Amino acid sequence: MTTATPAAPAAPVAADPAAAPSLTSTFVRLKLALLRNGLRGSTKRKAAFVSSAVFALLAAAVVVLVLALLRGHAHAGTAVVVLAAILGLSWAFMPLFFAAGDETLDPSRLVMLPLRPRPMVRALLVSSLVGIGPFFTLCLAVGSVVAVADDGAAVAAGVLAVPLLLLVCVALARAVATANVRLLNSRKGRDLALLSGLLIAVGAQLANFASQRLTQAGGLTALEPVEAVVRWLPPATAIGMVDSVSAGAYGRAAVQLALTLAALVLLLWGWERGLTNLMVTPDGSTLAAAGPEKERATGGGLWALLPGGRTGTVMQRTLRYVVRDPKTKSAWVTALAVGLIVPVFNALQGTGSVYLACFGAGMLGVQMYNQFGQDTSAFWMVAQTMSSSRDAFVELRGRAYALGLVTVPYTVLVTAVTAGLVGDWSALPEALGLALGLLGAMLCTGALASAYYPYSIPSEGAFKNVAPGQAGLAWAGIFGGMLSAAVLCLPLIALTITLHVTDLHALLWLLLPVGVLYGLLATWVGLRLGARKVATSLPEILQAVSKG
Amino acid sequence: MAGAGGTGGAVQAAPAVRIEGLWKRFGEQIAVSGIDLELPAGRFVGLVGPNGAGKTTTLSMVTGLLRPDQGRVEVAGHDVWRDPAAVKSRIGVLPEGMRFFERLSGRELLGYMGRLRGLPGDEVDKRATQLLDVLDLAGSQHKLVVDYSTGMRKKIGLAAALLHNPEVLFLDEPFEGVDPVSAQIIRGVLERYTASGATVVFSSHVMELVESLCDWVAVMAGGRIRAAGPLADVRGAAPSLQNAFLELVGAHGRDAGEALDWLGGAR
Repeated sequence: MTTATPAAPAAPVAADPAAAPSLTSTFVRLKLALLRNGLRGSTKRKAAFVSSAVFALLAAAVVVLVLALLRGHAHAGTAVVVLAAILGLSWAFMPLFFAAGDETLDPSRLVMLPLRPRPMVRALLVSSLVGIGPFFTLCLAVGSVVAVADDGAAVAAGVLAVPLLLLVCVALARAVATANVRLLNSRKGRDLALLSGLLIAVGAQLANFASQRLTQAGGLTALEPVEAVVRWLPPATAIGMVDSVSAGAYGRAAVQLALTLAALVLLLWGWERGLTNLMVTPDGSTLAAAGPEKERATGGGLWALLPGGRTGTVMQRTLRYVVRDPKTKSAWVTALAVGLIVPVFNALQGTGSVYLACFGAGMLGVQMYNQFGQDTSAFWMVAQTMSSSRDAFVELRGRAYALGLVTVPYTVLVTAVTAGLVGDWSALPEALGLALGLLGAMLCTGALASAYYPYSIPSEGAFKNVAPGQAGLAWAGIFGGMLSAAVLCLPLIALTITLHVTDLHALLWLLLPVGVLYGLLATWVGLRLGARKVATSLPEILQAVSKG
Repeated sequence: MAGAGGTGGAVQAAPAVRIEGLWKRFGEQIAVSGIDLELPAGRFVGLVGPNGAGKTTTLSMVTGLLRPDQGRVEVAGHDVWRDPAAVKSRIGVLPEGMRFFERLSGRELLGYMGRLRGLPGDEVDKRATQLLDVLDLAGSQHKLVVDYSTGMRKKIGLAAALLHNPEVLFLDEPFEGVDPVSAQIIRGVLERYTASGATVVFSSHVMELVESLCDWVAVMAGGRIRAAGPLADVRGAAPSLQNAFLELVGAHGRDAGEALDWLGGAR
């Protein structure tokens, strides 16, 4: 790092504004200083930074190597163009989900400084090029050029393409972030960012299956139709240009170059406009919040079907939180999606089993854990209205009902779909019995864990689900609970195996009623025991869940 | 210290709150060290003290949200820890630094709280409508509490605390960060409520406010009660409660002095 570079010397200081250190170099040094200060003190953060830097370096090296090996391959052009498009896409969306990274680039901090938009955009653009992300992009760009540049002309085009690709990517990210800065600073925007965890969880599952598909279906040829479109879209046009020059299609290359340049100019212009706008208008987030709000139905509609008293009230609140609280919503949607994807996709690929349908019941059962931690310090409202173990029982039972209201039909559905796809309808009753038994066991241990091992869930950050210092408690609660849930299910599993081994297939349907009854019994016992603990340790639970 | 027995007029015999030997320690730090206090019923009681005096800790222990290390608390004649059912139905609480169920709208939050308290649904809705009207929240009753301003939060919290018509109301810093208009509304509601014979206990470090609202004050500092009694008694000969308070907590005569003599000088 060239941290100690003296600021452009010469000339007397401050006498003449032109002689002052340029804004660009000030911003770059500011960025480096922030990077350095961010690492100071916390060894954990230092370790995180170093390891991510090392990881990025290694990944970059591997990517460059792989791309270099692609050289001469018939589909090399297709691969690198699609890669560049993916790169552009991720640059566009990254700032929306990981907004808090870059303090120098937060325009709201610069409002009070006497800066003109044009030099500021230039300075921000250059300082944005400092960092791990741009470095990784640079490696990818160089590797892509190496993969497709065949002759001198193509190499020359490549020398032009690499900085262009990098600039378009960075400008794209900045322009998108600036356009959405109001959104990102508002409550809705932060809620959106919390859903990124969900996107990654479900996306990883889908990407996994997609890549399996791709390797089966004849490799890179499958990408050709995509490439035909994408090579006309900046920033992939930059790499497309190199590919075109290699192929001798100079006319196409010229158009692609023009498109890239036009995109860069357009993005910079849009960014500058956005910045100017941002700096001369008041923060609109509060104004927007004061606007007319859609009427929320109170009491009426389907809610009227819920039981009265504490039970219905608790169910209603729990279900509303599934829809409205971003953390709860993201956990639920992830559980629902993964619980469906795993058995169904496995069944589609011929490796499935009806029993995988239990997966969904287990995933949703986890939502019963740390019930009061999910309330955060708002648990005081529950504690204030709870004065006996009967109240605590009704409270926990209401939450379990709400969970069951979604999970039971969902489990039936997933099990039926899986059985249909696998073509083993006869196994449906036993699989369903096992799944519902497992759900009951999870509700039982979840209620107990909620009572005995409550912990705080920080409200900020998609990946922070445990407050500092309580991680041990959280893991003990969840894993201990899941293990005990599995143990609780042993009688059911043993019964299933016994019936199979002893060839009593005619009696396998019995597992459905037995599983349901067993699950209900387990839930009831768990709620009873949990409620007794909750009623006597309200202040302790409140303290444990208020640390976020 | 707890000489509240013979205060002026004919008040009800049983105190609203009786605290005996209350202790709380967090690790090394003693937050509350052996408080004895009786708060008379039907009064507007102010609990004042500097930051870190133990006001919030005391109120949390009195309302059953924090377990004391030692000591007894009785509210309206019932032991907070032995008879929680009797106490919880008789008190309303607005704690400081705790969240609400903020993903509910203001109206939904009141509906939720009232039904958890066991009130019939129709009654809850009727009371909620009136409270929202009086507290000037009717316009934002369908907005999520997470989008409320500080003043609106305090008001919806007050509404939730009043919903079940409690005998004693505990408010921790109800005027902190509240704009003058909302503060006036809160004042009006509280004055009407105490006029009916109910008790309000609230903590604050704004002396002018306490002086103008309360007829009974307790001064806390360093986890102890420094003085308690009718406002006039605590104020004594001092020109204002502010002066009396500074005297009591031993922070008098600490002026900015000459240290910043350059400030406002020749530029």
